[in-house]
Amino acid sequence: MDRRLAALLQEKFGERLLTPVRQRYDESEIRVALADATDTLRSLHDDPAFRFEMLIDLCGVDTGEEMQVVYHLSSSTSGDWLRVIVPGLDRTAPRIASATFLWPGAEWMEREAYDMFGIIFEGNRDLRRIYMPDDYRSFPLRKDFYLADDASRSPAAGVRNMERAGTPADATAATVLRKSPGV
Amino acid sequence: MTQQMRPSLDDPRVAIPADSTWYEPAPIPQTERQAEFLTLREGEMFVNMGPQHPSTHGVLRVIIKVNGEKVVDLDPVLGYLHRGVEKLCENADYHQAICYTDPLEYVSSLFCEAAPVAAFEKLMDVDVPRRAQYIRVLTMELNRIASHTLFQGWMALDLGGITPILWAFIERDEIVDMLAALTGQKLLYNYYRIGGVNGDLNHEFMSRLGTWMSRAAAQIDSNLALINENEIFVRRTRGLGVLDAKTALKMGVTGPNLRASGVPFDLRRDRPYLVYPELEFDVPTRDEGDSLARYLVRMDEIKQSIRIIDQVLHEMPDGPVMAKLPRLLRPRPGRAFGAVEGPRGVYGTYAISDGTDQPFRMRIHDPSFVHLQLVGPLTKGNLIADTMAVMASLDPVMGGVDK
Amino acid sequence: MAWNRLTPAGRVLAVLLPVLAIGGALTTVLLATFGGAIAATIGANLPIVRFLAASVITFLISVPVAFLLIYMEMKIIALMNLRIGPDRIGPAGAVMSVVHGLKVLMKEDYTPPSVDVPVFTLAPVVVYLASFMTLLVIPFAPELTSMGFELGLLYFFAIGGLSVVGLMMAGWSSFNKYSLLGGIRAAAQAISYEIPLTLSVVGIVILTGTLSLPKIVAAQDGSFLDWFIFRQPLAAIIFFIAITAEANRTPFDNAEADQEIVAGFATEYSGMRFGFFFFAEYVNVFIVSALFSAVFLGGSNPPIHIDLHPQILINLSALGIGLPLLAGIAPVLGTLLFAAPLWFASTRVKGWQALIGGFLIFGAVSTAAIGLWAFVMLPPVASLIWFLIKTFTLVFTFVWMRGTLPRARIDQLMGFAWKWLLPASLLNIFATAFAVLIAGR
Repeated sequence: MDRRLAALLQEKFGERLLTPVRQRYDESEIRVALADATDTLRSLHDDPAFRFEMLIDLCGVDTGEEMQVVYHLSSSTSGDWLRVIVPGLDRTAPRIASATFLWPGAEWMEREAYDMFGIIFEGNRDLRRIYMPDDYRSFPLRKDFYLADDASRSPAAGVRNMERAGTPADATAATVLRKSPGV
Repeated sequence: MTQQMRPSLDDPRVAIPADSTWYEPAPIPQTERQAEFLTLREGEMFVNMGPQHPSTHGVLRVIIKVNGEKVVDLDPVLGYLHRGVEKLCENADYHQAICYTDPLEYVSSLFCEAAPVAAFEKLMDVDVPRRAQYIRVLTMELNRIASHTLFQGWMALDLGGITPILWAFIERDEIVDMLAALTGQKLLYNYYRIGGVNGDLNHEFMSRLGTWMSRAAAQIDSNLALINENEIFVRRTRGLGVLDAKTALKMGVTGPNLRASGVPFDLRRDRPYLVYPELEFDVPTRDEGDSLARYLVRMDEIKQSIRIIDQVLHEMPDGPVMAKLPRLLRPRPGRAFGAVEGPRGVYGTYAISDGTDQPFRMRIHDPSFVHLQLVGPLTKGNLIADTMAVMASLDPVMGGVDK
Repeated sequence: MAWNRLTPAGRVLAVLLPVLAIGGALTTVLLATFGGAIAATIGANLPIVRFLAASVITFLISVPVAFLLIYMEMKIIALMNLRIGPDRIGPAGAVMSVVHGLKVLMKEDYTPPSVDVPVFTLAPVVVYLASFMTLLVIPFAPELTSMGFELGLLYFFAIGGLSVVGLMMAGWSSFNKYSLLGGIRAAAQAISYEIPLTLSVVGIVILTGTLSLPKIVAAQDGSFLDWFIFRQPLAAIIFFIAITAEANRTPFDNAEADQEIVAGFATEYSGMRFGFFFFAEYVNVFIVSALFSAVFLGGSNPPIHIDLHPQILINLSALGIGLPLLAGIAPVLGTLLFAAPLWFASTRVKGWQALIGGFLIFGAVSTAAIGLWAFVMLPPVASLIWFLIKTFTLVFTFVWMRGTLPRARIDQLMGFAWKWLLPASLLNIFATAFAVLIAGR
């Protein structure tokens, strides 16, 4: 429970935080709106009070109703850790500014988030698929992912139930498998 | 007469002459960086170190743009080992999810289990018994030694020396047999459970451990003597792929690669977990940041791990090795990030729970994934042979990179 | 026909026996009618015939030598790696490399579609030719040199350089970037190291005044202190490093660095073509070791001359009719003699096993005895055996280096040749010339 960090975050970003700073065990977590994300990250990186110069992880989350991008930051000097959740990305066309201007190492992590969810990171110079083949049409980690579109080009297309052609466009809102809006 | 064209097999959007048996043009660039990579200037050509290659630590395709022998640019292509672990874990139980995470960094698989287990334990507010914590530390440090010994072997192998890897495997064999006596497995241990470990230490394990400990230091020293002072090895790695501290922090590098660049960041020191606060050990750091420094930092870490194992063996308390938990685990909705210091860096798991018995999202952060971005910038301007040296010194494991 | 009912062995015999019979009959007839004329022709052109015979024998021995070297390499590197190596085929795996050779012969002869076919086909031939043509000047013994002519050393370096052409041909024609890189690396490396190689022996040429290898070996006669390795140590070191690079051995094996460029110039080769490259490399190792031992280690000269003057002249003709009797009875008696202790040693040894064991032991003992007699009484045998001891010591050193050392990078390797070995060899020449000038005054 790092009260000092919580107090500092509340003081610096008070009005931008969507919820109060949450702390549990040794983790601190803040949520900021999509519009404030870049400024918040930049302050966290540059501000001498925080010095979160290490980006530990960058990932996307699909809650079923919206998408989020979650950053895990760390400081190499003070041992603070922070999770920054940016909720509110539109599920049909998720876009967010890239973090590569602060951390060039985020390039591949953003590529992975794009590949798995379809989140477009504006400013990433190399936003293409990283795991799936270049001409893959779906985004696998979305909650409404259909497996079939790749096998549809094979001679065995349609023979087995799982390999019938389908794209996320065929997926209606009702096919979203799990929704958990509060996470 | 117009030539018959057909779509290229590599990329159907590109048309090539129909009777061509070999001409496959360069792919259409989709991004700015790719366009920059695919433009060839005078004297440059692409050399493809394909997915099947003796030296790329797994299935990794590296497209190198060379000018003669000098590397101008480098583009790793991943995905050949992508198994969809994160998606699989979403459809599995919490216990089953841990089984999926073992084969990620298969060389050091106990760390791949420790991180999700830590995250789930935070979600479920589970107290791990003291003895189980000590056992976890013990087995993780053994796995770290096994991984670093293997690293030494294949770094020498990538540079052309065929003997050290076989000697390293003797070392690793002993440790792996030890862990096999304990867990029943030699590579993917599947030993950690939410709330503890699966079974206490047994006599076979302790006797093997004792035998090994009595000559571990001397044996590792003799293995190191094979190649540490070898003139050819040192000349090929010194000053190669220098990574300074600022770039390392910006690129998200962690683990021995970061410590070899001068930043003494070790999760066991800075954000201790399990029983590390009570253990005494040094964090080896070097300033040069070249491949030789990365190699030597890992070799120093082996010695520190032996020290930790010694202390753990002396201080291990008695008690249960597994907390009492219900069979069906339904944690409260929430998020948790569990991280351990693996032999390659910070290995983390971000778990989101929505109140059901399956994780809603299990994100795995693998250090090798981040480090592989460095191969390009570090090799620019060096020769093709240095690509191998740099990649070996960064120690990636493709299982983790591709998830 | 009955052809279909024959086994493969039967088919081979069914073809071979008539051919042999008819060929034997024809040869006998030819020799009987033209024997005198043939003998006269041979006598008139003895040097040519001798050269032909020497070339054929050299060509024939190069393959078993390569087999032996391959086995040595596999086994010794295995033992250095703390593993066992081949141990199933033959006693301690000795026949393993023969099996590899046969396997390589039986593979599909595949030419990749886009290669330059004539160049692709000829490249292994050129490499192998360069290797075994240099075998012709190696002075195995004063009486056993195929071509002991005045320009031996120069011929060696000139023909040895042909292998570079072969490697380039292989690298270029393979239509493969890996092969190209491997071929270019091989060519650059070979060219860089040829200069220190040739310059380092100039010191020896100054000392002996001749380029002929038998004469250089003869100049080291006496005791082992006369060997040129003591009189020209710097040249020996430079020469050793240079031949390691010329033979593409670790630490200079960039041309076939299989951790980086799969198999280098030989990536597209399979089957017997790859076998050619493979064998050529090992024959090359043998040849350069032989050259080093000839030029620096005294060749066929023993370390110390021990004049025993033994008189173990067995006058076989005095035996008369006893000779065939001896030849017939001695093996039988020897077999029984050596089988007896085997049979009595344990009850589990059956009679036929004891007899086979006895025969083998008799064979080994009689070979050893005849070999020892030949070593003492026949100078060529002694010289050859000394030469081979020195050569194989050097081969062992090469294998040892392969098992121990990592690989040098291509630019470090070439920098070493041009910046260190070349000035060192020039220094050696000047020092030798200076010393000769001083000593001769």
